[in-house]
Amino acid sequence: MESVVEHPTTTWDAMPDGNVFYRRLQLYSIAGKIPNLNDYVVAGCRNGGPIALMRDPSKLVAIGRAGPASSRSQIQVYSPAGEGILLFNWDQGRIVRFGWTYDERLAVLNEEGTYRLYDLQGEYQQFSLGTEAAEMGIIDARIHENGFVALSGSLALLEVKDWGGGRPLTLANPGLSEPPHAWAVIPPDQNISRHVEVLLSVDNTIIVVDNLESADQRISRGPFIRVSPSPNGRLLALLNSNGLLWVVSTDFQRSLAEFDTQTASGGSPVSQVEWCGNDAILVTWNNLALLVGPSGDTLRYLYFGAVVAVTEVDGVRVISRDVCDLIQKVPASTLSVFRPGSTSPAAILFNAWESFTQRSPKADESIRSIRPDLAAAVNECIDAAGCEWEPYWQRKLLSAAKFGWSFLDLYNPNDFVAMGQALRVLNAVHYYEVGMPITYLQYQLASPLHLISRLTARNLHLLALRISAFLSLKADVVLKHWASMKIARSKPMAGDDKDQELCQLIVDKFGKFGNGEVNYADIARRAWEVGRGGLATKLLDHEPRASNQVPLLLTMKEDRLALLKAVDSGDTDLVYHVLLHLHKHLSLGDFFRLIEDGGQSLAPASRLLQVYAREQNKEMLRDFYYSDDRRVESAVLALEEASRMTDQTAVITSVKAAEKFFSEDKDRNFEAKMMDENARLLAVQQQLEKDAPGNAKFFGLSVSETIRACVMNGMSNRADRVKSDFKVPDKRFWHIKLRALITMRDFDALEAFARSKRSPIGYEVFVRQLVEAGHPREAAMYVVRCDAPRRVELYVLCNDWRAAGRECKERGDKNGLEQLKRRCPNSLIVRELEQLAASMK
Amino acid sequence: MIMAATSTPSSDLQTTSGVDREIEQGLDVEILRESAKKALINALNSVVGAKTLVLDPTLAGPLGLVTEVALLKHHGVDKMFWLEPGPLTSTTTNVVYLCRPLIKYVKIIADQIKGHTKGSLKHTYTLFLVPRTSTLVSRILEEEGVLGDVSISSYNLQFIPTAEDVISLEYDGAFKELWVDGDETIIYDSALALDVLQKIYGQYPRIVGKGDYASKLATLLTKPLPNQPVPVVSPTPSSAPIDSLIILDRRVDMITPLLTQLTYEGLIDEVIGIKNSHVELPMSLLNPPPAPNQGPSQASTSTAATSIIGEKTKKYHLSAVTDPLFADLRDLNFSSVGKRLSQTAHRLDEEYKARQQAKTVAQLRDFVGKLGGLQSEHQALRLHTGLSEILLPHTRTDLFNKSLEIQQNLLASYEASAQVTAIEEMVAQGADMQTIVRLICLASITMGGIKTRALDSVRREFLQAYGYHLLPLLLSLSSPPLSILLPNPLPPSTSSTVTTSKLPFSTVRKSLRLLIDDNPEALEEVENDISFVYSGYAPISVRLVQCAAQKNGVISNPVVDKATNSGGTSSADHGDVVGEGTSMDAKKLYAHPIVGWKGFEDVLGTLPGKTFDIPRSVNATTGTNPGTTLVPSPIRPHEQTSTTVVFFLGGCTYTEIAALRWVNRQHRGRKFLIATTGIISGSSLIKSIAGDGKVGQDSLRDSR
Repeated sequence: MESVVEHPTTTWDAMPDGNVFYRRLQLYSIAGKIPNLNDYVVAGCRNGGPIALMRDPSKLVAIGRAGPASSRSQIQVYSPAGEGILLFNWDQGRIVRFGWTYDERLAVLNEEGTYRLYDLQGEYQQFSLGTEAAEMGIIDARIHENGFVALSGSLALLEVKDWGGGRPLTLANPGLSEPPHAWAVIPPDQNISRHVEVLLSVDNTIIVVDNLESADQRISRGPFIRVSPSPNGRLLALLNSNGLLWVVSTDFQRSLAEFDTQTASGGSPVSQVEWCGNDAILVTWNNLALLVGPSGDTLRYLYFGAVVAVTEVDGVRVISRDVCDLIQKVPASTLSVFRPGSTSPAAILFNAWESFTQRSPKADESIRSIRPDLAAAVNECIDAAGCEWEPYWQRKLLSAAKFGWSFLDLYNPNDFVAMGQALRVLNAVHYYEVGMPITYLQYQLASPLHLISRLTARNLHLLALRISAFLSLKADVVLKHWASMKIARSKPMAGDDKDQELCQLIVDKFGKFGNGEVNYADIARRAWEVGRGGLATKLLDHEPRASNQVPLLLTMKEDRLALLKAVDSGDTDLVYHVLLHLHKHLSLGDFFRLIEDGGQSLAPASRLLQVYAREQNKEMLRDFYYSDDRRVESAVLALEEASRMTDQTAVITSVKAAEKFFSEDKDRNFEAKMMDENARLLAVQQQLEKDAPGNAKFFGLSVSETIRACVMNGMSNRADRVKSDFKVPDKRFWHIKLRALITMRDFDALEAFARSKRSPIGYEVFVRQLVEAGHPREAAMYVVRCDAPRRVELYVLCNDWRAAGRECKERGDKNGLEQLKRRCPNSLIVRELEQLAASMK
Repeated sequence: MIMAATSTPSSDLQTTSGVDREIEQGLDVEILRESAKKALINALNSVVGAKTLVLDPTLAGPLGLVTEVALLKHHGVDKMFWLEPGPLTSTTTNVVYLCRPLIKYVKIIADQIKGHTKGSLKHTYTLFLVPRTSTLVSRILEEEGVLGDVSISSYNLQFIPTAEDVISLEYDGAFKELWVDGDETIIYDSALALDVLQKIYGQYPRIVGKGDYASKLATLLTKPLPNQPVPVVSPTPSSAPIDSLIILDRRVDMITPLLTQLTYEGLIDEVIGIKNSHVELPMSLLNPPPAPNQGPSQASTSTAATSIIGEKTKKYHLSAVTDPLFADLRDLNFSSVGKRLSQTAHRLDEEYKARQQAKTVAQLRDFVGKLGGLQSEHQALRLHTGLSEILLPHTRTDLFNKSLEIQQNLLASYEASAQVTAIEEMVAQGADMQTIVRLICLASITMGGIKTRALDSVRREFLQAYGYHLLPLLLSLSSPPLSILLPNPLPPSTSSTVTTSKLPFSTVRKSLRLLIDDNPEALEEVENDISFVYSGYAPISVRLVQCAAQKNGVISNPVVDKATNSGGTSSADHGDVVGEGTSMDAKKLYAHPIVGWKGFEDVLGTLPGKTFDIPRSVNATTGTNPGTTLVPSPIRPHEQTSTTVVFFLGGCTYTEIAALRWVNRQHRGRKFLIATTGIISGSSLIKSIAGDGKVGQDSLRDSR
């Protein structure tokens, strides 16, 4: 085994100056798997993504050479390992550009400004740049991961941000008179301004355009036929028509390197200028790739046939007829471990471990020599493991790290464990059938979730699920995608069993992996969209959150079910949502019927509807009660309306209406009678208002208040009339009149009233009420009429101590007199009481 | 303990209870206030620049418990207006509305916006809905054609701590909306609030409860609820974890709110009215009089009640934190308040006298150091003396006593039918409307319905005296789901829901030992039981809590407990009932774990409403905030204090809080956290039911 795997350094090449090493890793051998790239326009996706191929319309192709599969209107997508992923036909007019989005969808833009985003299953979303763009036509575009900039027929620049189909934004007018020789875009996320920047090669200069202004950089070295910004957006590689490659900072302030490509290639035209990471540039021709280092030094890599380079953050991927390579600067940690003659601690640690495996005592000696740097050496070995492509060397480096750390007292193994995990994941996706040659650095930058979603998009659900579980990430995204695919693929057999089977399958899978966090409603919606209503309903049953179920049910026109679910959820707002929706879309009759037929289970909804209607739509409420024969509610509603009316006749009419409603219900005799009384009272009050002096108000008062108002307005006999008309009991009448007269301080009338007949409420209440109102003297006059034993106390209440004393004396209550003496407020009274007591003897 | 240690000076009492608190730390509910405050600030800050705040008047009280006006000003609020009908003049571009999602408010807002548009005034409108956004609101704004002008957001105001052991949603409409309108929004909102609570303090391992709506709420809590932002503060891990949630809905015990509350705080609520822990008091009570030694001006006793309205009033925050004397008084039966006040007065007097004994400079300095505390205590004493002097004449009125007498007779089923006549008498005497309704309903519940003829007669008297417009009130009371005013026998057409909702009062009274023999001398004995809050009657609701959390308290009068908990300092003459537990609080029994309704299934079965007991596996899946999931404590469960959350759906009374605090003191190892939709009294309930849309006629009626 050991002999088969070459030492890492075999892929290395030193720049002529001998200090900087670059390596060419062969990722996959793809001989015969992809067509001749010469005939195609190619777009590669970053982070080890696939490549898309489209016949280059400008090149002549001999019929039959590429076979029928490559007819003009087709786009093919291959994995970096040369496996065909997707093939689809394009029927939408001439394609001006295609490229990849961040989430690995292929954006294809045609000359009419229409663009589609294809996922790896061939499903697409279509958007347009608008009618204006369609009229002008689109002549070119530059697509980056989070949007694109299109050049319209009128030479205006249109920017589209994100891939949500938003309206395009017109950038500042560059004032072009003809299309640029070449152009490029620096994406917003790599700019200081956070706005997209467009670099146009016009005449001999470069014009920089953003959304506000367009600035001529006044460079005279053009015209440039290639403009290529580095992955981090800081540097620019420009190739002019004389074959001079010029590297300059994007603000054109610092010139970094120059290199003549003409001499290097013998004059044939350059096909690509791509960055290798952020510090070197790969210039390609047919059969040749030339790596130009920062100082202008070069390395030559030979290939057969056409070459396609795809820039990565840490290198450049090169695809030719036979191989898929990664060319990158040898990472520092790898260099440190493997560089021939390296004496770095990491290299010594690695050697020590190798000696140890060979049972050589040198191991101990080596470890001793690097003791102070051991921790750093361990870290470097771990890092280097991440930079290796071959599992063999990864394992060796990790073993070396582990070996080193066993000599350390304290070491936090988190990095080690994380690296081990990451490498397992990476090796799994590197496997040629998956074909995703993502490097450790790219994986770190893009996040594990990104990787999982990319796997999911390739329908590699099992792998994605396993990786999710391995990294303890939530699996719901994967499961959701799996379920949608499952539904889309399954034949829409008109069988309930099939639906049931499929639903069960999905539910089982979710139960097993989903931790109960999967949103069934989304999947159900998907099923509904592909016309599987039955399945959608079944899936929806498993959705625990009604707020997710209900909107879909409404779209599915499952009105009753939606309302039921909303009611069950207890979320009244959701119930309102359904009610208001249904109210809008159904006829009033159907709407009411739906609610009434629901019976007890829909009762909460019915009550909510009433609450809403009472405030907002009285007319509807009246219809609702009427249609449901709810007499009592109708009556109450009529009363409610009466209470808000100001017109007296209208009030009486409403009260009579209420009476009628009550009388239609045989159990509501009492209420009907009361409303009859009410109406009569209101009529009496109307009359009273006419007859009363001044502007006395009667209308709307209660019976008791009416009596009181009559007394207060000196209409005593009318008060009596009201009493007899409404059969007011004596007691209540007396209380009312008593209070009214006291309030008026009409003590004569009170006296007359008291004498009119024997009081049914006694006279004590006269005393108390008068005292409470602050008339103790008048109160005292009524004490005589009260029960004898109570009189003493009552006199005291009236503050009439003498009378109290006399009362005691009359009753011969000496004890009482003593007590009085003790309680009385001043000595004057004490003396009088004493006299009384004395007189008693 | 507060009840029992009658002679203990309050400062001592505080230290003992301080120790108590140290041992039995309850949940830190201040987190809730802080997070409510933060959320409000965030909401205000989300609108950039100076703003005019238009506030729902019913929210002012709750917000007052969370923040102060200065804070609002600090966050850009330029001017504040009530959300009322009529045009709005705003000097700032930003107008911020803060209200509950009620249709009437939305209409006012729409009108004001339309007014501005007509006058071509440019404003940006932000609407914060409490506690969450609502489809209904956006729909109505859409119907009114102003939806585009308003950005709608929410201010999630949920539980607000109103005392150290009480948290409340402070939502007054809960009872009426649930049992009259049938609008169940508050159940859902409660579920969300309780869910946030369990995300902060840990999951409820068990949910027990009683009542149909309570059961709905419990079911909601077992289902996944939408994710809500949870305050990131994590409570001190040592604080008592929640051992269960007890949910009671108000319908389960309708008797309690109908009775007159007889504790100090309860009586204040009955007579003056407490709104959001604030009470309106005459200015003279709140400002110290010129001469400190002169007692509070003796308001002429007979007119005290009117003076509350007549004199200029000021809001006073009844809070045990700022007013330790109130903490001491609030749960006492009013009959003991006078005694406690005079004890405090004596003690203060003694301490003032210490000045004379202070001979040396050091002693003098000592005294001066204490002076500040003494003065503030003095001020509190003055206030509460004044307050009880306002209450006292009220308790001496004829009507008050008659109403108490009727209540006691009804509870004892003594000459039941004569009571209806007595109620009619009170109508004639001009008792206020709420009192009468409370009594009629009480009669109906305790007697299992009122004989049809008597009922018709009393209802007729009622309507004639207070107005026919109250007929809908009577209908609401007698129709399901409330059904607390029923004829006997029920008409044959009555639906079964009504028949099953009847309370078999006499059975329940016996099995739950609701009525304790009551005579004035035995009052001290009565204090051995939660029934002290109604001078001899135990609220069913609290008995039910005891069924779950203090089973022996239901079955027998725990006199022994009394002796154990009164401490050695008690001067009350009941120390003669000595067990081996004459000793200190330290010997208090540990609370038994909550095992649902075990032992009381039969009683629970006879009470109307669903009974439930949902044990839950502590958990597991989702929901709990990872930062605050409570690791099962290694300490044996009975040695660790745990918290039992008691939630009253539809509101609870101050007496129930007092009774629960009493239960709390009987055991070690369990703290109650009382949660409620709001604090209610019988009158506030009746008012909320009656108050629907009768504004026009009511204003006419004010002349009475």
